[in-house]
Amino acid sequence: MRRKGVSYAKYGYLFSIPFVLAFLVFQLYPIAYTTIIGFTDLKGLGKTDFSFYPDLFRNFKMILNNPTFIESLANTALIWIMNFIPQIILALLLTAWFTNRRLNIKGQGAFKVMLYMPNIITAATIAILFNAFFGYPMGPVNDIMVNLGLQSEPVYYLQSKMTSRGLVAFIQFWMWYGNTMIVLIAGVLGINPSLFEAAEIDGATGTQTFFHITLPSLRTIMLYVLVTSMIGGLNMFDIPKLLNLGGPDNATLTTSVFIYNQAFQGSRFYSRAAAASMIMFVIIAILSGVLFYIMRDKDEAKLRKEKRSLIKAQRAEARRASV
Amino acid sequence: MKRIVALTLCLLLMAAVVFTGCAKETPAEEPAPADSEAPADETPAEEPAEGVTDDPDVSVLNLWSFTDEVPNMMEKYAELNPDFALEVQPTIIATTDGAYQPALDQALASGGADAPDMYCAEAAFVLKYTQGDASQFAAAYKDLGIDVDTLLTESAIAPYTVDIGTRPSDGALVGLGYQATGGAFIYRRSLAIDTFGTDDPATIKGEIGPGWDKFYEAAAALKEKGYAIVSGDGDIWHAVENSSDQGWIVDGALNIDPKREAFLDLSMQLKENGYYNDTQDWQDAWFADFRGEGPKPVFGFFGPAWLINYVMASNCGDDPDTEEREGTYGDWAVCEPPVGFFWGGTWVLGNKDTKIPATVGDVIEWITLDSSDTGLQYFWANGTLNGPGGTKDTVASGTVMAKSDGTLDFLGGQNMFEAFVPAGEFANGKNLTQYDETINLYWRDQVRQYTSGEKTRDEALEAFKQQVRDNLDVVVD
Repeated sequence: MRRKGVSYAKYGYLFSIPFVLAFLVFQLYPIAYTTIIGFTDLKGLGKTDFSFYPDLFRNFKMILNNPTFIESLANTALIWIMNFIPQIILALLLTAWFTNRRLNIKGQGAFKVMLYMPNIITAATIAILFNAFFGYPMGPVNDIMVNLGLQSEPVYYLQSKMTSRGLVAFIQFWMWYGNTMIVLIAGVLGINPSLFEAAEIDGATGTQTFFHITLPSLRTIMLYVLVTSMIGGLNMFDIPKLLNLGGPDNATLTTSVFIYNQAFQGSRFYSRAAAASMIMFVIIAILSGVLFYIMRDKDEAKLRKEKRSLIKAQRAEARRASV
Repeated sequence: MKRIVALTLCLLLMAAVVFTGCAKETPAEEPAPADSEAPADETPAEEPAEGVTDDPDVSVLNLWSFTDEVPNMMEKYAELNPDFALEVQPTIIATTDGAYQPALDQALASGGADAPDMYCAEAAFVLKYTQGDASQFAAAYKDLGIDVDTLLTESAIAPYTVDIGTRPSDGALVGLGYQATGGAFIYRRSLAIDTFGTDDPATIKGEIGPGWDKFYEAAAALKEKGYAIVSGDGDIWHAVENSSDQGWIVDGALNIDPKREAFLDLSMQLKENGYYNDTQDWQDAWFADFRGEGPKPVFGFFGPAWLINYVMASNCGDDPDTEEREGTYGDWAVCEPPVGFFWGGTWVLGNKDTKIPATVGDVIEWITLDSSDTGLQYFWANGTLNGPGGTKDTVASGTVMAKSDGTLDFLGGQNMFEAFVPAGEFANGKNLTQYDETINLYWRDQVRQYTSGEKTRDEALEAFKQQVRDNLDVVVD
């Protein structure tokens, strides 16, 4: 099979060198270092000497028994769900509209750019901006609400736990639905157009086409969106940290803010932060696995199973025959 | 086959990187402390090191600060010293939300050409840089060529600034402040006349104090006139915090001083009775209250002289470009506070690894220890740093204070030194700890939880303890 002559493979290796180098230096080394110090007693500013705990998992046990870490896990999950459900619904709706050939929306490019816009602004800027919007006792939102007569007096929005969580979730939603939409549209454009034509000829309505053609064909893209969004959501850091420092009263303390506080504030428990990071890694890996399992192509899995059992049967047959 | 070759190469690369990482770390650490300790052992206590010279290749002085005060001083320094050829590169990060410390720590720990040569620390966290977790980065003043012993006596520097700035591990002086930050109560004259019939500081001090009970009586009287006695609970917090007998940490354990715990109730009283505008210090609404633009006019603020100099003046209609003075400018006066306290202060430190120790030493000496008429503190006290007519401040040097004049137009011609110099006796380093800024952040958050009715008093205290337990290496019962 192998052709003799020029091999282009070496160029492939050549071009991948920059990435491999950058990965090794800037990612693999820190990951390995983090893994190691999770088992040690490393703490304190500017310290680099450490020794392993006799009980290797001391940090891990401490983190798992820490009520604040549990609280931050719950916050993270809650805020992610509050942002992801509206985000995927709106993104799907927009995708359906933009790809619907009967609607044929004008100025699609402009709309897509505008919907994507929030994602271009730095998260830090948006967080600070929202903090100023909801200022108390004086701030634009309070001023508007009082002047419109919707509130009798200024409300301390950022002092309320659910409002703060809602704000973080809203900012995440608002920043990312455009991105999700673009990915989904790309996915829809990748579906064989003859499927849509066939559906059209059979007289399917837009809704029917969406639910019976588009959605099932989007499965792999949906899996991608779900997994990336979940990883992003569980690592949520900049918005909650900058909007209200993880407050009020830890209401927007996500696991990443918790880890940051452990490592870069107060007494700098680097090792505990590393242990918490590893725990988050395991949690994310497990949840991703669960998502892959839920979103698997059930028909195909069934088919493969049948095939395998068929082959097995054949082999058994053959063995019996040879004996 | 190729795949196997590629894989082995990959693994080798990985191993190489991992091991170079290890190799780099160990030797870099070993000699560093040895180097810095050697000269310290040779020179006896506070003798200035001799032959301190700059690296001629360095053309930039990196200066880290949380306000523009010290960077602005550098302009004057350059003007006074024409042969000062370095370019000053200031990095200014406000202490709001505790942002300054992590950034400074990172810069100090990373080192290199962009590391700070000189840096400032505030009272809320100065101990960390002079005595605590980050004190190893500070240069002893004597190693910068400063004749510490002679100058300390000559300038009559307030003893508490020296105590705070001395590193216990080697007894070396590593930081000094240029201000004296004893606090007073700064109030609006017009509101005082309307409520108490006079704006005389001697009478007003008897109306608002001594003690918090008298203060709240005055608050009730002001409320009848439609005034708020303070802007937010943060204003009284600084008085409460620094009048307490003990700090947050005693013998490595969290300690809630009864005076600080009482802040929960003081804050609640303000909230329930509507004695304030419910602002948070350093936020827009707080600044608006200086101008009298809040929902209720605010009677006064707790603060040291720098609050007038650095915060109030620019927010009260003092436009340095024109002669016009608008708003509440000139309507203020200073009197003795209901409880003695001090608040803030900037300590100036040099980096032990700086390449330009001689220059850094000269600048620090000029800022903190020069009591002559061309020293920073003389300009600072008399408000002449940027030409005549600037706002004045109390300074650390007794020698300078003795020859300075604290009369201010901002205070309607009152000599503010009358109130602030006696207040200096309340300034001490005894109730400070290196984690104050972080702990205060947690404490204030929980106090707000309590006053806004989200939590009971006990729940707030418990949550506060949990936050300290989580983030600090401190024993919490």
